[in-house]
Formats: sequence, C-alpha cells, structure tokens
Amino acid sequence: MWAHCAAQINNQCAGEAVMNVHGGGVNILLKTASVGGGIGYPLTFVTPYSYSNSLLLPPIVEIQNVTKSFKKVPRVSDLSFTIDKGDVYGFLGQNGAGKSTTMRMILGLIFPDAGKVLINGTELTNSRRHLLRHIGAVIERPDMYGYLSGWDNLKIFAALTDATIKEKRLYDVLEQVGLRGRERDKVKTYSQGMKQRLGIAIALVHEPDLLILDEPTNGLDPQGIAGMRQLIQSLSREHGKTVLVSSHMLHEIEQVATRMLILHRGKKIAEGPVQELLNPEEMMVRIGIVPDDVITRKLTESQWQKHVVTAADGQLTFRLNKEMIPELNRWLVNNGAGVTDIDSRHSLEDYFISLTND
Amino acid sequence: MIRVLAFVFTLFLLPFTTMASDAQELYLTLRSKVLAVKDYTADVRVLIDVSYMQIPTLEGILYYKAPDKVKMVRKDGISMLPKKNISLTLGSLIPSGGVTVLDAGTATIKGHNLRILKVIPDDDKTGIVLTRIWVDEAALLAYRTETTTRDEGTVVLDLEYGSYARYALPDKVSITMDVKEYKLPKGATMDYSEAPGTPKKPVAAGGKNEKGRIDITYLSYKVNKGLSDSIFADKDK
Amino acid sequence: MIRLLLIELYKIFRRPRTYISFGVVTATSLIFQLAMKAGGREFFEFGMQDISEQFNIQGNIINGYLVAYLILQSLLIQIPLLVALVAGDALAGEANGGTLRLILTRPVSRTRLVMIKFMASSIYTIMLIVWLAVMALFLSLLVFGDGDMINLKSETFILLLKHDVMWRYACAFGFACLAMTTIASLSMLLSAFADNSIGPIIATMGIVVVFTILSNLELPLFTAINPYLFTSHMVGWKGFFDADVPYRAIGKSAMVLFLYTSGFLAATILYFNKKDITS
Repeated sequence: MWAHCAAQINNQCAGEAVMNVHGGGVNILLKTASVGGGIGYPLTFVTPYSYSNSLLLPPIVEIQNVTKSFKKVPRVSDLSFTIDKGDVYGFLGQNGAGKSTTMRMILGLIFPDAGKVLINGTELTNSRRHLLRHIGAVIERPDMYGYLSGWDNLKIFAALTDATIKEKRLYDVLEQVGLRGRERDKVKTYSQGMKQRLGIAIALVHEPDLLILDEPTNGLDPQGIAGMRQLIQSLSREHGKTVLVSSHMLHEIEQVATRMLILHRGKKIAEGPVQELLNPEEMMVRIGIVPDDVITRKLTESQWQKHVVTAADGQLTFRLNKEMIPELNRWLVNNGAGVTDIDSRHSLEDYFISLTND
Repeated sequence: MIRVLAFVFTLFLLPFTTMASDAQELYLTLRSKVLAVKDYTADVRVLIDVSYMQIPTLEGILYYKAPDKVKMVRKDGISMLPKKNISLTLGSLIPSGGVTVLDAGTATIKGHNLRILKVIPDDDKTGIVLTRIWVDEAALLAYRTETTTRDEGTVVLDLEYGSYARYALPDKVSITMDVKEYKLPKGATMDYSEAPGTPKKPVAAGGKNEKGRIDITYLSYKVNKGLSDSIFADKDK
Repeated sequence: MIRLLLIELYKIFRRPRTYISFGVVTATSLIFQLAMKAGGREFFEFGMQDISEQFNIQGNIINGYLVAYLILQSLLIQIPLLVALVAGDALAGEANGGTLRLILTRPVSRTRLVMIKFMASSIYTIMLIVWLAVMALFLSLLVFGDGDMINLKSETFILLLKHDVMWRYACAFGFACLAMTTIASLSMLLSAFADNSIGPIIATMGIVVVFTILSNLELPLFTAINPYLFTSHMVGWKGFFDADVPYRAIGKSAMVLFLYTSGFLAATILYFNKKDITS
C-alpha cells in the first residue's frame, strides 16, 4: 500500500490524500489538483479520477525525491511525481528548468544523486535494460546517423531493442509518422521536422507503453507543430500510449496534456490535471505596498499566508480566487499597509510567464 | 716501419741464405701450383661467425677467376663474402711478383708437419706487408697463411684439403679477420629489446675491432673450365 | 550480440572516414615502394655502410620482404593514429553526434555496448592490418620479388633465408593485431571520457608518441620504467625477425599487452557504466 500526492506544491502533499491500495482490489481514488507556490497552500480541486485502468497497477513512472547536481550546481531538487498509465503528462518549464535532466533520469541516461526512479513499480537501476523495453524516447534533438538512410537508422535502432521487429512494422511506423516514401534518403538531407518524425518512429517502433518526448516541436514549422500535436493525441487516444512530453510553452502542453508539472530551477512549482491548473477563476495578484517589515510579518501569521507566492521589497504576489481580492485589499489597509497598486491576471499562464521572465 | 723492420730482419737472416733459397724455391713451387688454377666454379657453404651478425649457413656457387675475381651467387638469395681491399683467396694472399722468402721453422697443425715460410713482397702494390705460410712440403699444400696487410690488419686462412688437393684447392677454408664494429642509432631502428629495461649485453672486449671468422666449405669444384668476366660484373649496382 | 556487432560494423564501414585509414595505408605503402624502387639501394646501403665495407653482398637485397619490413617500421607511428580514428570515435563520436543518448534509451546494457564497440574496433583494426599485409607485403613481393631478408638492428645484422621469412610475417602481423588492439582499447577508454572524437584521437597519439620516446630513451630513469610501458612491448612483432625468435620475451610482451588491453577495457566499462549521458 502506498499513497501518492495527486497535487503538490513545492513538494508538499496538498489537498486530499489519495490512497491507492494494491492487491486489496478496492481503490478509492480521487484526483486532486492544486496550484500555488512559495509558502502558500493550494486551492484544492476534487475531481473523480478518470483513469480506471490504473486502479490495479503501479504508476508507469514514479519519481521519489530525486535530486541531481552537475558540478555542484543543482539541476533537479527533491523532485517527486507520478505518471499513471494513459496519462499524457506535460512537463512545463523554461530552458534549464530541469525537464531534460528529469527525463534522462527516467531513461537511466543520468543517475540521480539521491532519490529513486521507478518504472512500473520497479526501481530503474535494478532492471534498466528490462524496463527500457517498455519505453521509447526522443531526448532533445533527434540526432541520428546522417550518413545513413532513414530506413537504415530505423532498422539499426529497432535492432537495439531485444524484440524481433518485422519489416512490416517498420513500414507501418514510417506511415504513422508520415515518412513513407522518403525512407531511402540519407538522414542528412532531411528537414528538422522529418528528423523529428523519424525520431518518433524510432521511439515507437518497438511498441513501447511509455513514450518520452523532449520538446518534440522544437524547430518545427506551425504545420509540423500541429501535426505533432495530432500525433501525440492519436498515440494516447487510439493506441493507449502513456506520453511524457516536455515544452517550454504552456499552450503546447495545455493542448495535449491531461496532467502537467511545472518545473522551475529544478523544483516542482505546480502539478495536477491541466484543466484544473488552468482554472479561469484562479488569479495571480500583485500588490505594491510601501516596504514594511511589520506588514510582511503579520502577513505570514495571517490566513492569507497560504496564498502568498512571493513577498519581498514592497511587492507581494498572491494566488487566489477573483472574489477574494477586495477582502485581501481590505485586510492590508486595515493592518496599516500603504497599498500603491494592485494588478491581477489570470493565474497560471501569467505566473509561468513571470517565472520565465525573471 | 714494418718494411724497415722486414729489411733489418732480412739482413739478420742473410747467413741462412741457403736455407732461404730453399724456402724461396718451395714457395715458388707452391705458388705456381696455386696459380695453375685459372678459374673454378664451386658449390660452397658459407658460415659467417661475427658476434653482431646472425646469418644462417649460406649455400651457393662460388666463382673464381685468377688472379683476384671472386663472386658468390645464390639463386634468388643474398650472398655474403668477406671483403678487404685485397681479395681473400689463397692466390691473392700469397704475394705475387718479386718476393723474399725466409724459412721460419716448422710447426704441426692437425697432424701435418709443416714448414713455415715468411714471404716479404718486394713492392707493396698489393698492400701485403708480410705473409707467413705453413706448407706441407711433401704434398705441396699450404695449410695456413697469415697475411699482414698495410691497412686492414691481419687475415688468417686455415685450409683443409681433400679430393681437390692436386689443384691445391681446399675443401674448407676458415678465414679469421678483423671486423669493424657495427652500430646504428637506436632511434632509427626502434629495436625490440628482448626484455625491455634490462641492461644490454656487455660490448665485446677489445674496443672498436674484433675478430670474425668465416668458414667456406667447398662441396665440389669445376676447375679451369674457362669463366667469362661477365659473371663477375655486379648486376645489382 | 552478433546482430549488434554486425550493426556496429555496418556503421563503421558505411562511414567514409573509415576508408581514410585504408587509403592512408595504401598511399604510404605505394609512396614507399616508389621511393624504394627509385633509390632504395642507396638508402639501404647508407644503413649497411659498416657491413658492406667488410663484406661483399650480392643478390636481390631490396626485395619485397625488406621493403615490407621498412614500411611496417615507418608505419609504426601512423597505424595507432588510424586505429584511434575509429576506436577513439566509438563512444565519443556517438556522444558528439547525439546518437549515444538515443542508443542508451534502448534496452542495451552499457557493458555490452562497450564490448561490442571494442569488438567492432578490433575487427576494424585487424582488417586494417590485413590490408597493410596486402599492400606492404604482398604488393612489395610482387614489385620487388622475394629473396633473403636483411634486418638491420641497432647492434645486430640479421640475414634470414627467404623460405624462413613468410611465417615470421604471419606471426608479426598477428602480434601487430594484438598491439593495435591495445591501442584500440586505450582509445576507447579515452573515448568514454570525451564527448567529441578529436580529443581521444589526439590524446591516444600523444600517449603513444610520448611513451614511444620514453621506450627508446636509454636513460637510467626511463630504462627502469620501460618494462611497464606498453609501447616498449608494441614493437614485439620485430622479435619474429630475429634469427632466433625470443619467444619468451614475445610471450611476455603479448601478456603485458593483453593485460593493458583488459585493463583499459575494464576501466572503460567501469567508467561508462557510471557516466551521466549529458550529450
């Protein structure tokens, strides 16, 4: 038996605890989502868990308190999350947020300094080769052997899986990614989009359960981006694949993902179902005040503390529902704060943009 | 200097002129026997024993033409014969032309009782200063010669005779001579030392020069069949 | 395993770079043969000066066996470079090209990958040496004919009879394969550390050149470490051209090379298994 947090903020389990009981046959699962940051507590959403097929199975990916530094610079700090079978799981974060590092750790390319990576409930380090049979991945650029044809590349990487893959499957997967007819051309003559599609064909050829796509739309034209989106959706809906996809653009994740996780400087900022994280009622409120340590201290002791995202240098940032804004303003004024301006926006998108800008 | 010594030596030996003329006669008889062979072709086996050389026994054909042409030929192979500025044949090592011959006593080598002759050439065109010859008077065969040359040290020939004794042609000749040392820079040869790092074998005592020995075994001869000079032309050069 | 090895070889032999090595061997051999044809005798007699003053040497001295030996001797430095060109690229080239991360997202163990890369590099090395045998030995025999072979060592003059030479070449090429496999394993190790292939290739050459210089320096300090340098043993193939082959020494050298190869390979596997693939 184990518990996992469906929605978390800064690694603290938030909302309703969700119990997933293995072996007992009875599972009561609710998926909760929350957004928030800093010292605040989340707003909690409770929705019925929609992935009935995962009721009896461990998550396909489970990351437990994973930390990784390169040359003493932390890249991923104490990160935990789970991906259930059938999820299209979006990794959102600016460049350098730790998305690729985390994906590489899931694939065993990089070894965590601390924490565990479990695939289908088994620790990766114990059974990397066996577990990788169920994963297909394109990490960063889809680099292949430019001096060989697309077909040769596909054949080579197909042979690197233990499975015996028939030629028909190679043609099918080329058809699926729209490369049929160009497979005999050398890869160095391919456009970025074609390389990306060949990369996905390679990732798919051994029919993995989990597909890991790191920034798959990088370098694609708008048409290519739309095509990629459709491909991911069809892989999920029609072929039942679990997909982990990363992007630095919210709208890309928003359009394909069922759940998402926002990473910033290696830390989890928010995680939960996309629909709920992008709640239109949720606002990001920035309030300018005359700098005052007393107010800051009072704030941390008040009921508003859980909504605080940042509080420094006369700039307070809150994440709260629209109707709470006048009440917060009143509290500040009553406590002697000199409010200079109030600015409120739709929360997650702006919040993400603000992260990207800082 | 050696010539002066030889002259003094000759003066000292003047009272023995009878003996000397006897020796002179023996020498001239021997020489004419040796020089009666104008040419020969022989199957030979050559074994070179020089400390820095590793050469297997070489089998080939040796061509000789009087007075001093020698060549060894091996089919598709390399032949090696010792070389001085004088030819290392019996015919060349016993001086021609005017000579002074002195009796230098007797000796026994391998059971043969031999007379020792000292032969001093009247001129030094050949480069020979002095030759000592150990002669079997009865058989009229030279069993050893020791030739001191002006520039190239001493060459000793030890000879053994068999079925070609009537031509004064030996079955085996062992040549003992001075050989210069040989060395190439290690950086150029990049040798594989047998056990890298272990000290090298001590250099042969005696400094720059050492003795080398070459054994030539004659298996069969064809004597005085007439050899063309073209055989001795150096094709490779 | 066989399938993966075949893939690796396919990758190596489909890459134009691979054929540079074969081209270099061909060109070097041809140039050398041309030079020997033009002035080989003079060149060689320079080295034989001391001998030819005292011995009258007759016959086909500049024959195929001798020319082949001289080619091998002069290629002593180049061949490791050609081996490094492929072995040094084995892991680093894949890292540089970004294909290493793609390979390692497949269910292939890293140890197996290193082993396969090493085997493929070794096969390439052996093929290169076979090609060297064809170009340096067989072509030279065709052009210069055969004959007894003269081998000039620093302090020894060796003459080998022609019927006694070919087996020595066979053994020498076999030994060269072992020596070059050591170079391949060294390059692989350096390749595991790097994310581009130029580094390991240059580093391999640097190590070979420095060690070769140390191996040939006759200073007390260096003679003490000589037995431990693999470059001292790499010239073991020359032992087969001694009149009496020093089998014990060659056996020891082969063992040292084998130990170095195993050591380099084990270090590569150990390091590579722990390496974060960030390329």
